[in-house]
Amino acid sequence: MPLNSSVRENGDIIVTSGTSLTIEHAAEFSRILREALEASGTVMLEFEPEVEIDITGVQVLCSACKNAAESGKVFSYHGPRPQAMTDIITSSGAERNSVCKHNNNSTCIWFGGVN
Amino acid sequence: MMEEAIATYREEAGELLAELETSLLDLEETPDDNDLINRVFRAMHTIKGSGAMFGFDEIASFTHEVETVFDMVRNGKMTVTKRLLDLTLKSRDHISYLLSCPMGEEVDRSVGDEIIAGLRQLVPQQDTPQKGSNEVPALHLPPVSEDELANECTWRIRFRPAPNVLMCGTNPISLINELRGLGTAHVVAQFDEIPQLDALVAENCYIYWDIILTTTRGEDAIKDVFIFVEDDCDIRIELIDSSGLIDKEDGYKKLGDILVERGDLSPIEMQKVLMLQKRFGELLVEQGIVSPEKVQSALVEQQHVKSVRKERSEAPPQEAAASIRVPAERLDQLINLVGEMVTVQAHLSQVSQAGGDATFIAISEEVERLTNELRDTALNIRMLPIGSTFSKFKRLVRDLSSELGKEIEMETFGAETELDKTVIEKLNDPLVHIIRNCIDHGIEMPEVRKAAGKASHGTVSLGAEHSGDSVLVTIRDDGGGLDRDRIRAKAIERGLLSATAEVPDKEIYAQIFAPGFSTAEKVTSVSGRGVGMDVVKRGIDSLRGSIGVDSVRGTGTTITLKIPLTLAIIDSLLVKIGKDHFVLPLASVEECVELTREDIRGAHGRNLANVRGAIIPYIPLREHFKITDQRPDIEQIVIADIHGTKVGFVVDHVVGEHQTVIKSLGKMYRDVKGVSGATILGDGTVALILDMGVLLQSIEKLEHIGG
Repeated sequence: MPLNSSVRENGDIIVTSGTSLTIEHAAEFSRILREALEASGTVMLEFEPEVEIDITGVQVLCSACKNAAESGKVFSYHGPRPQAMTDIITSSGAERNSVCKHNNNSTCIWFGGVN
Repeated sequence: MMEEAIATYREEAGELLAELETSLLDLEETPDDNDLINRVFRAMHTIKGSGAMFGFDEIASFTHEVETVFDMVRNGKMTVTKRLLDLTLKSRDHISYLLSCPMGEEVDRSVGDEIIAGLRQLVPQQDTPQKGSNEVPALHLPPVSEDELANECTWRIRFRPAPNVLMCGTNPISLINELRGLGTAHVVAQFDEIPQLDALVAENCYIYWDIILTTTRGEDAIKDVFIFVEDDCDIRIELIDSSGLIDKEDGYKKLGDILVERGDLSPIEMQKVLMLQKRFGELLVEQGIVSPEKVQSALVEQQHVKSVRKERSEAPPQEAAASIRVPAERLDQLINLVGEMVTVQAHLSQVSQAGGDATFIAISEEVERLTNELRDTALNIRMLPIGSTFSKFKRLVRDLSSELGKEIEMETFGAETELDKTVIEKLNDPLVHIIRNCIDHGIEMPEVRKAAGKASHGTVSLGAEHSGDSVLVTIRDDGGGLDRDRIRAKAIERGLLSATAEVPDKEIYAQIFAPGFSTAEKVTSVSGRGVGMDVVKRGIDSLRGSIGVDSVRGTGTTITLKIPLTLAIIDSLLVKIGKDHFVLPLASVEECVELTREDIRGAHGRNLANVRGAIIPYIPLREHFKITDQRPDIEQIVIADIHGTKVGFVVDHVVGEHQTVIKSLGKMYRDVKGVSGATILGDGTVALILDMGVLLQSIEKLEHIGG
């Protein structure tokens, strides 16, 4: 599934990652999430198992999470976390074992420890 | 303390430069030798790193350039060429110059700039480091040495890349991985500057990193990681812990742990109580003073340093250092004191023998035994392998042969042969002169050699080997050899030899050491002024050594320097003439025989003795030194072997073996021939140390000139 978004019957928006959340697609990824969070109270990301992620992808996720937290919306993901996500969290030191003030002092669902 | 550290740095850098020179010269012969390439890189790396640490910024920045080039050689991006070696040898000289400059004073950068420009020309274009370059070349650092291990430090690094860093193609994670490669790292990415989606420029980098790194590599290695992005990024590097430099916190147990250990509190009770209180970090977050991410980052640092310290404290104690660095002056002082002790011990032996008290004599003998051991040990401490000076000569041969357009190789052997430190230092100048002469006058030009059926490249061989209590240093060349007839003619012209005397070849060759003696038709920048070999002679004389020359016309010349192992204390034979004592170095003494008046009469006025059928010439020292006391009826001939010639020295009495602490004579006695020094005897009187070789030569010369 390419990087895209679709609306469910209940109004939740599903964003599919496509195979690349790297710098080439960062702007588009950012735009899709921004529009999704403007349009819906719940935005769910579905990762392709073989997706590539770099720092820009990580930043877009964090940025979108801040948006959602501020507007009281839900931004989460469906299904298993892809290996690339685990790798980028480990290599970039993005792992969070603490609460996030931008996320109502909740544990970060995106980078809250790599298991 | 800092002055001491700087002095140590200068000394160690000097040693590294010597090692560097040797490695470079060896590399010239085997340019593919990775061990040598690594050795060169490591020497540069250490000079640079330590230089920066002690404030030698000029050395650090200059060496960095050379090190960078050798890093490329190590990584196979460049090959070792003659031009690279030339420039690196010049770099070595320039670093040596920078080392000699007083700190804080302006230095001449012109040579350094020229070398750097030359090195940059050698770097393949695509590998020339350029600012803003997309690709960051990986740094491969050398293996950690034991010294480096002792310098493990923990650094706090904040790396805040420029927003456009990703657009430039630099991946910050690659840099972080390089840092990880330097040691143990904990990396925390900071997200607080990532804006919400409305403000996000998706290609920009908003993340910055806090890295806690424990490494033995030093700050320069860390800076090297960022070298190609440093102008565009904000990088802060702070030392937060080290194995020796920063005071450690006491690290003692917390109150709860002590109470649990003593059994006054159970671990569960302790946990319960601890749960009631909030942690400092939590309080800070709650108060909104510090973000949770910042607290987490600080906790990572705390944990990192704690675990490093724990590992360090649990590590088995390192073995005591195998060697220590002691200033040479202290060793000289030790030798002087040992010398004094030997003199006092001689006095003690004399007094105890005179007293006849058995206990006193036994104690005196025990002191004598200990003094001998102490003397040998003290002298051994000053022994150094002569090879440390050999590399200098390799360089000399390389540079001079290139200057003169000759092809000359240098071979060395016996580099491990040990000699007293002072002897090695004093040997330097004579060897320089001899080798310069070999190159300039000995080895022929390539076309001349070819015409003579020889290989176009000549060989100069320098070696050392032990011979009794001396070391033989041999300098051999396969050049044209000495021109016996021209030397003889010149010596006769200058009145050094008699025109009619039959003189052995060795003695004719020895004339080249006469002051101002030169058969060269032209004076070159290298030699030909007749100054050098005179310096050699004086230098070797001052070492109480001797020179032997052997040469075959068309085949080459061999110069052998016989040098005593030490200049401080020697075993000798104490003799007496009249009321005066003299000392003869025991190493050359073979035996002592009686000389009666009848023997003298039987020789018909010639100074010859018949020793078991062999006719041995002798020098009556009483006459030589014009001592007019009553001559005893029976005198003693001390027979010595001097460069293969047996010769006797007639004295009144042989007192016996003696440990002679050599004291140099003052400047006033510098030109006295046949006396190489003096010593103080047990009773405080002074005995002259005789130079048997010079005595023999002076007698021979008189005979030759006399016809």
